[in-house]
Amino acid sequence: MNPIPSVLQVLLVVTVAPSVSWWIKKIKASSQNRVGPTLLQVYSDLGKLFRKGMVISNQASWIFHVMPYILFSAVLVAASMVPIFFKGSLLGFSGDAILFVYLLVLGRFFMALAALDTGTTFGGMGSSREMTLSSLAEPALLLSFFALAYHAGTLSIEGMVSHFGSQSPLQILFFGSLAFGAMLIITLAESGRIPIDNPATHLELTMIHEAMILEYSGRYLALIEWGHQIKQFLFLSLLVNIFFPWGLAEPGAGAALFLGSLFFLIKIFSLAFVIGWIEVHTAKLRLFRVPDLLAIAFVLAVVSLLGQLMIGQ
Amino acid sequence: MKRVVEVLKEKFGNRIQGSHQETVRELQIKIAKEVVIPAARFLVETLEMRFLFLFGSDARNISGCFHLHYVFSYHHVDQFIILIVEVRGEDLTFPSLAPYLPQANWQEREIQDLFGLIAKGHPDPRRLVLHEDWPEGLYPFRKDFIQNKKVPRVNGEYVFDRVEGDGVFEIPVGPVHAGIIEPGHFRFSSAGESILKLEIRHFYTHKGTEKLGEGKDSSHLLCLAERISGDNSVAHATAAAQALETLCGFQIPPRAQFLRVVLLELERIYNHLADVGGVVLDVAFGFGAAQLARVKEQLMRLNERLTGSRLLRGMIVFGGVRNDISDLDKKYLIQEIGKIKVDFDQTIQILWNVSSLMDRIQKTGIIKKEIVEALGGTGPIARASGVDRDFRRDHPYAAYQELLFMVPVFREGDVESRIKVKMQEVYESFKLIYEAVTGMPEGISIVETVPLKPLRSALGYVESPRGECFHWIATDRDGRIARWKIQSPSFANWPLIEYAVLENIVPDFPVINKSMNLSYSGNDR
Repeated sequence: MNPIPSVLQVLLVVTVAPSVSWWIKKIKASSQNRVGPTLLQVYSDLGKLFRKGMVISNQASWIFHVMPYILFSAVLVAASMVPIFFKGSLLGFSGDAILFVYLLVLGRFFMALAALDTGTTFGGMGSSREMTLSSLAEPALLLSFFALAYHAGTLSIEGMVSHFGSQSPLQILFFGSLAFGAMLIITLAESGRIPIDNPATHLELTMIHEAMILEYSGRYLALIEWGHQIKQFLFLSLLVNIFFPWGLAEPGAGAALFLGSLFFLIKIFSLAFVIGWIEVHTAKLRLFRVPDLLAIAFVLAVVSLLGQLMIGQ
Repeated sequence: MKRVVEVLKEKFGNRIQGSHQETVRELQIKIAKEVVIPAARFLVETLEMRFLFLFGSDARNISGCFHLHYVFSYHHVDQFIILIVEVRGEDLTFPSLAPYLPQANWQEREIQDLFGLIAKGHPDPRRLVLHEDWPEGLYPFRKDFIQNKKVPRVNGEYVFDRVEGDGVFEIPVGPVHAGIIEPGHFRFSSAGESILKLEIRHFYTHKGTEKLGEGKDSSHLLCLAERISGDNSVAHATAAAQALETLCGFQIPPRAQFLRVVLLELERIYNHLADVGGVVLDVAFGFGAAQLARVKEQLMRLNERLTGSRLLRGMIVFGGVRNDISDLDKKYLIQEIGKIKVDFDQTIQILWNVSSLMDRIQKTGIIKKEIVEALGGTGPIARASGVDRDFRRDHPYAAYQELLFMVPVFREGDVESRIKVKMQEVYESFKLIYEAVTGMPEGISIVETVPLKPLRSALGYVESPRGECFHWIATDRDGRIARWKIQSPSFANWPLIEYAVLENIVPDFPVINKSMNLSYSGNDR
């Protein structure tokens, strides 16, 4: 198989990811009678961070230093498993859905450790919150993958995308809607968005994700931020490509690839609009209410799986 | 009020050393040190007066002793009673009132730090205003302390109250915070996310403002007063101006009284709008916060157009109000207020229908009525907990006597109630401004002032957006300011936050804090 389109996919993820964050910011800004940042701003912010020097606590151990690299490379490997504009991926193999989930967990594990590493007040608080919530989000994510895999008959993301691509919209709606609900909630949680976490706050006591990276600056912070944007992008890609698989190119088709990526961008920005819409219309949940929301995701995933077991394929 | 003195004399005999009516509304009673506690308790418990605050002053160059002033209000007859105690000679102690009236806690500690008088029997005699890096034996509010003296820093450690147990840990927050706010330290003891105890530590911005005012002339004093707490400029300046005017037995023109009401209410509206917006922002509802910020900005621009200052500074002067409002400005003001009211209405209606927002503010940060009363809480915070107090109604000043308004009171004491009180007050303020502007008598707005009378004192008070704000001013033999005491509503209300957060979780602290919106600078002075 020609590896060039697959590599192009990963490059697309890495380059376009920040612009999805920009798009959500823009939607929020327009609800607040503001103009919002230009598209260039998100990239120049990253560039600025890469150029800036770092301030690192002298209490920091090696964990603090390796975390950004582990996080970023884990996310990068995960990115190479997700089909973006055609029904294939660079590292796709059967069972890669499980690896996908745990690559993200690996990054999170090191992030929680690094937050504890410098011994600051807010880092530990962020770690404990992140771990509590991910212990609820992770099984829900796995279960929704299992629900999809049961229907598709394969645990590879590539396989699921191809399977759903060959189904009629009604069938996807019937089998996929519950799992879609579950994964949408998990996407909100994993990308640290309202109503679970507020990426724009300065109030350390309310932070989850941001609290863990308060000690980071410069290049490390850039890697973390970028990795986070890619992660958010991957979740959105999964949602659009599994549940709205139309317009995906077949592997190897030259001109169709271009059309495929165009379709993909339209889909992903529309979904990001939904995320932005949710952010505009809700306040952040009370921290102790977040488990309820994640429990809903879990229940949706379970019902999706059980439903299929009962109805059969 | 003669009756009160007679009753006290009957009860305490010759230890009541004298009394005189210092100003129209102020009765001063000299009382011996040893009976001040029973006398204070008698006034509060039997005569149902309200204890407001207490403060010290160094009168050694006039009467050879320190004075302590205990201020009580008797709102049935719109009078204030000040018990004055002399602390003389070698024995620099005074009996502590804090075990009986917890609201005296911080005030007595402040006297300990600044005057070097010792509150005997105080349950918590730690340093308050001056931190541990301030050397022992230097008392900045004594007259013999030179104001610009360079003070060496010493080593010392403040001991926080500790909560011990399995899984209990401390979260230190501040004094330097993210965002553009002032410094203050918060020490949480929590188990998981639940707050077991909060101890606040402030006074990082103590500037000795009261001392700075000594010896200054009246216009300079008002200038300082406006800068005590930036967003309560008008309230502080009015309270100080009223104290000066009462001290001279001097009436400002009726038009100025009405103008002061307009300014005070304009200030109240923009403060309350900012508070409601702040709460909405802290629960991450950006849309609502942005809309409220927009409405607030309209108000600030209106302020600027009317007075030349977004914070309404420079308008309140000794003798009236500096600039009159022209008929054209009046029309513009009423028209703008009308527009802002419609805008505010619509925004509030949207906000009140967002269930996720309501869920965050209901039952969050409840302050019980008993706590408010014991700690002397004031303002919207007290009114949200069912304590029906408002100096505009109970001790009317400026032109409030002639205007009709309601005092909103809610009982739940949570964040929602505090927001509701503030919102209702905004509507009342719109009404007050309209009434004051349309019912304003013609005439001048400022008159020539007289020099301050020597050896007199007077109390000025205002219901500021945050609550009751008092300024007490005394003059020396030459008619210069000898002592300026500022009792800001934030000083009275900060201790309440330690109770508001109990049974809440750490991430809800910012929104509780915001709903109270207390001033650090006003507290630290």
